[in-house]
Amino acid sequence: MKVLLVDDEKKFATMLAKRLALRGIDIDYVYTGDDAIAKAGTQSYDAAVLDVKMPGIGGIELERKLKELDPCLKIIFLTGHGSKTDFETGSAEAACYLAKPIQIDELIKILREVIG
Amino acid sequence: MMNRIRKIFGSIWPEFYRQDDKHLGHYLTFTDYRKIWAIGILALVVTALVPLLVVTVIHYRLLQKSVDSELILRAERLTSNARRAVTFFLEERLNALRFTVNEIAYDQLTDTDHLAEILRNLKLGFGGLTDLSVIAHTGTQAAYAGPFNLEGRDYSNQRWFIECQKHHFYVSEIFRGYRDVPHIIIAIKSFRPDGAFFILRATLDTDRLIQTLASYETGAHAEIFLINRSGIVQTSSKHHGEIFQKMTLPVPSYSQRTHVAMAEDDLGESLIVGYAFISTQIADTPFILMVIKHKAGMMQVWQQLRSNINWFVGFAVLIILVVIILTCSYMVNLLYRADKSKAQTMALMEQSNQLATIGQLAAGVAHEINNPLALINETAGYVKDLFVLKEQYQRDDELIGYIDDVLDAVERCGTITRQLLGFARKFEVKIQKVKLNEVISDVLVFHNKEAAYRNIKVYVDVTEDMPPIETDRGKLQQILVNLVNNAFQAVDNGCILYIEASPDGADKVRITISDNGCGMPEENLPKIFEPFFTTKEGNQGTGLGLAITYGLVKKLHGEIAVKSKVQEGTTFTITLPIRIGEEII
Repeated sequence: MKVLLVDDEKKFATMLAKRLALRGIDIDYVYTGDDAIAKAGTQSYDAAVLDVKMPGIGGIELERKLKELDPCLKIIFLTGHGSKTDFETGSAEAACYLAKPIQIDELIKILREVIG
Repeated sequence: MMNRIRKIFGSIWPEFYRQDDKHLGHYLTFTDYRKIWAIGILALVVTALVPLLVVTVIHYRLLQKSVDSELILRAERLTSNARRAVTFFLEERLNALRFTVNEIAYDQLTDTDHLAEILRNLKLGFGGLTDLSVIAHTGTQAAYAGPFNLEGRDYSNQRWFIECQKHHFYVSEIFRGYRDVPHIIIAIKSFRPDGAFFILRATLDTDRLIQTLASYETGAHAEIFLINRSGIVQTSSKHHGEIFQKMTLPVPSYSQRTHVAMAEDDLGESLIVGYAFISTQIADTPFILMVIKHKAGMMQVWQQLRSNINWFVGFAVLIILVVIILTCSYMVNLLYRADKSKAQTMALMEQSNQLATIGQLAAGVAHEINNPLALINETAGYVKDLFVLKEQYQRDDELIGYIDDVLDAVERCGTITRQLLGFARKFEVKIQKVKLNEVISDVLVFHNKEAAYRNIKVYVDVTEDMPPIETDRGKLQQILVNLVNNAFQAVDNGCILYIEASPDGADKVRITISDNGCGMPEENLPKIFEPFFTTKEGNQGTGLGLAITYGLVKKLHGEIAVKSKVQEGTTFTITLPIRIGEEII
């Protein structure tokens, strides 16, 4: 299971990536949308975990661009906004939204579910 | 009892008169409903009552003139008829004497028995004669027929004898004479066959003449009497002098025709005075016929009518006043209630807007806190993972670093919650010195994330010499939050927002919030501060944000203006006083 993590909160992204790695998930992490597109251009991923609000290319736009590169890529959004409204404004094609702070086991469970 | 009366009166009294809406002052469209009410009543009273009163006065005058004309006409008719009657009375008797002297020879006239027979016949034919006498040219009475023995009297020096010699005819004034009885002498001069003249004289009974005059008196307010040309009353008058006294009114000037005029007596009472100088075809007379009508008495019907009109007009004026006052009170009250209801809605919306602002801030803060919380979560989770999955980290630098990260994240959360508490406290109504750059920073701190996410650049320029202003910080903060929100909603990603503040004269500051967003059509600009006006599609806007902002600026005794061009952007300019008193908030 190869996963790409994108979040502008660098320390959060690093910590989450380390924890996922400890649990045996092959994870790459970047801090911007541009880096994510570059990464996805060189490697193939089963899923991408994206923060919704990021400077520059935001999560929703990034999802569209990553899907252009790999239509089979599964997307999971992370958001600091906990309300249902924030989730409803997002992409219909996204596999799931998770509100920060997330439960690591729940994220892994969802990753396994979407990748199959 | 008094309380009950006060309660009933209070329920009738219009709401706007109580002026218990001072807390809604800024949201009421009109501020002085009492003035509107008073102006409304005044305008309606002038419009309704002035024409009524003018028409009533005109009507009075027309009626007065009409009544006066009618009274004068009647007086003229009466004077003319009475004049004819008096003239006829005297003329008839003068003609009778003339017939007598022409038909009967002097010798027969001086025959006492014959003269008595003639007197009897004249009394039968005309009446009103007391005696009859023949006076020789010497002035000596030649024959006499009547109740008194006046034979042989010498009249040569009497005025009537001398006048009759001159004019051939004579009619005397009323006088008492030898008999001390009021009477009139009429005399006619004729000639004997030998050429010497003689005079046939008759004494007329004044009672007959007075009866004739009295028969023309109509009602208690009219008097008819005779005066001589010196103004001496010849037949008694009730109000203007007894017989042989001077008349209380001035003697009218000579006229051949009947005259009627308005006059006043000594007491100032209005009179209608008709007069005619009596003159027969045979001889002139010394009499002036006077017809006096007391106007007040004659006007009683008119006075009664005027009294009725006065009552009617007074009642109509009262009804009109009551209707106008009630209608004005009702209409102004309706207007006031509608205005008050709108103002109450606006005040409620302001409160909702404050709550919504706090809610919005809370959402922003939650987002801000969630990120460090997520970091705490992941870092703490990772530390736990290290302890669970590996066992060799007693003094591990990496582990210490991660714990520091946890502590940093907690510090971030603390900063954010302190800002939130500080922001919430600033909504309390309190006049204090406020630094504009601090307020603007406080407002923008919660928009930083969205600005970064949407790539919106926010430039703040507060001039260095900007003095702190005394104002209500919470309200100012709410104004700025509303306008910044509005700008964020109006601009596309990648646009620019400028917030500038600078002194405006010695006692004001100017804050401008400009964006280079979509702008607004010119026709919308006059309406954007109206409640419920919105250009946002669907249910995205309540149309109250800018209306409430407008109300808040007014509360701070400031002004707000907007300039906008489609596709070029919008600029809101707020001008606020540097100092504001707490009592006016």
